[in-house]
Amino acid sequence: MSKIDLHPRADANDVLTIGIPRGLLYYRYHVLWRTFFERLGKTVVVDAPSTRATFTAGDAASVDECCLVSKLYMGHVLALIDGQGLDATGAPTPIDALFIPSVGNLGTLKHFCTKFQALPDLVANSLVERRPRILSCLADSLDAGVSMRDGFIALGCRLGARPKEAKAAFRAAEREQARAEEALAHAQQELLASIERLPAAERPLTILIAAHPYVAHDPFVGGAVEDALRAAGAEVIFADEFDHERAYKKSFEFSATLPWIVNREIVGAILALHDHVDGIVIMSAFPCGPDSMTDDAIQRCIHGKPILALTVDAQSGTAGVETRIESFVDILRYQHKGGYLHA
Amino acid sequence: MPKTPLMQTGEGADDTLHRTVSPEAPARIAIEPGERRGLFGKGADRDRRGRARAQRDRRADRHHTTKRVAFFHYSYYGPVFKFFIEHVLNAEYLDMGEPTRRTLEIGSQHSNDYVCAPFKHIMGAYIEALDAGADVLMQFTGPCRLGYYGELQESILRDMGYDFQMLNFANVPSGSMREYISYCKRIVNPHLSVPVGAANLLACFRMVEKLDTYNDAYLARAGFEVEHGSFAAARARFLRQMNEAASAADIDEAFRSGMAELEALPIDKPADPVRVGLVGEYFTAQDAPSNLHLEDKLLAMHVELARDLNMTSRHLRYNEPNLRRSIADYVTYDMGPTSSLTIASAKKYMEQGFDGIVHLKSSGCTPEIDVMPVLQRLSRDYHVPVLFLSYDSQTSDTGLDTRLEAFYDMIAMRKAR
Repeated sequence: MSKIDLHPRADANDVLTIGIPRGLLYYRYHVLWRTFFERLGKTVVVDAPSTRATFTAGDAASVDECCLVSKLYMGHVLALIDGQGLDATGAPTPIDALFIPSVGNLGTLKHFCTKFQALPDLVANSLVERRPRILSCLADSLDAGVSMRDGFIALGCRLGARPKEAKAAFRAAEREQARAEEALAHAQQELLASIERLPAAERPLTILIAAHPYVAHDPFVGGAVEDALRAAGAEVIFADEFDHERAYKKSFEFSATLPWIVNREIVGAILALHDHVDGIVIMSAFPCGPDSMTDDAIQRCIHGKPILALTVDAQSGTAGVETRIESFVDILRYQHKGGYLHA
Repeated sequence: MPKTPLMQTGEGADDTLHRTVSPEAPARIAIEPGERRGLFGKGADRDRRGRARAQRDRRADRHHTTKRVAFFHYSYYGPVFKFFIEHVLNAEYLDMGEPTRRTLEIGSQHSNDYVCAPFKHIMGAYIEALDAGADVLMQFTGPCRLGYYGELQESILRDMGYDFQMLNFANVPSGSMREYISYCKRIVNPHLSVPVGAANLLACFRMVEKLDTYNDAYLARAGFEVEHGSFAAARARFLRQMNEAASAADIDEAFRSGMAELEALPIDKPADPVRVGLVGEYFTAQDAPSNLHLEDKLLAMHVELARDLNMTSRHLRYNEPNLRRSIADYVTYDMGPTSSLTIASAKKYMEQGFDGIVHLKSSGCTPEIDVMPVLQRLSRDYHVPVLFLSYDSQTSDTGLDTRLEAFYDMIAMRKAR
């Protein structure tokens, strides 16, 4: 039973254009969020992918110790407030409100990093002089008894939709999200199958990038790694594109108490894809709380495939990353040929 | 002047019958009508022989197990863990005492670089405990990284070659009492008596409350002691007495005599002292070795301290929605394990006219980092300075001294103005 008012007053029905910062959970839920708001007749505005300028702006507005991706998120928020958000046609559009949900957990052992729980209040307090208008909703099944669905329906009502419309919009959004995830997982399967159909000598190196989606797919954070791998002639697949539910279940073979859902999905995907890849790159944004422990556990417990652990921070050059990737790929190639002794 | 010993070691503070009469000290007489009976267990075992007998009896108890259970050092709660292990789990308690510099060094050596500092402290404590012969290690769970501490630490220790069992409460994700009991039985003591254990668990909670009440009084007064070291000595005696408690009656008795002694100690407190509120992360803000004895340093500067964050306020009387209502102007959602408590108590101190706030956390603690912008905003609104301290596994405290002195000078000057 939900503990929040599922049908609150429509205090935000003047909001027509909603800005979604392109960071953190956007990379996981963007299809769901976009579909939900568009079904309710709102215009969704997202800003451009991260650059160094995004980081610099976000860094200036954040506490020093925040993680890299949190600073980037703040940069995206600032870009939206400054009217740099782009609508579907790519035209800069000012926004009426920002959408920043508070996502704590989706149930037992389905926690998110506490950063996502604190995000709306973090932005509101860090940028208090700018007075951003923030639309938010709660997802905290364990403590508050509010599922993600409850939170979104309440938000829909606040945006002026009738409960029935809000429910329908959320259903549609969930469907679209599932379809998008399926498409990614399917494409990954296809790619792996096509590689395995090749004769062994012609197969390219297949490298699994295991990282949070907002690290792996953000051009400023993980972009350099993906580029370097492709430049070295490797085929890249992503752990977060693997079927989430299967990966989550699989992760219990690895750990009974790992609390974070995204880390569970990554670990599960590593286990499921372990036999189909040549090497694994674990990537983490500095200093990621969940990764500081999970990465240690992965390197301790998952053996048999070479693992490269990369921590990405805000340093300006990509040369360091490129060198490490190149040497990693070289090692894998040598191994393919039968090891150093036979090279 | 030769000092007359006021009491023999091991005797209670108000044990006037066995005390050497001292001409200097004013005598304090406690009247005890009749024999006090314990609520649970065998009542107060006053003398050492009685305690030894009780210990023997306990070991002869068919519910007892000889497994040695160890816990890491955490603030002044050592007596609680001892009581829990001896009287709830009915096992042997392995007392590790205060951690040393070496504890942290070996802990950091076996931990990931950027894992939070409490992990490293606990890791070191575990290694020392296993070297000292522990059979079982205990670990709690929590809503942040703490939830994964137990499993990762167990895996690291096993990789190091240790053989032991881990009582990791994260393994009971449902949180139901029935499962906790069967888990404790499986790992530690299959003969565990549930009725006695449940009653003693309540006594544990009582001890937590008493310790926290005592500490509040201590922090408010100890900065103004007349005789140097008198408060620390009284507290050491109090903790020793708590450590020897074997029943709820003993706990009450230790608290009564400890508080009486604390309140009787002479202080020289100005009408308007410098007051500092302590807030922050659960482990670092409370555990003195982890925060390089920050409280002692501030008390030595003659400051009145207050710290709402303790086990009583975070667990026994925790009402997060209620706390959040008091800070509704600043935050909407629960931001993490201790975030609401940190913000609410900082705001309360500011409203009460405290001169400064010190925020303590381990380096990289995400929830407490997210609280910092809120504290900065509170500081601007109420014009109360906040000192942010971030602890990692450093072992030198010179830097801390400098920052604390500068902070103290600043708030003292503001006050004088």
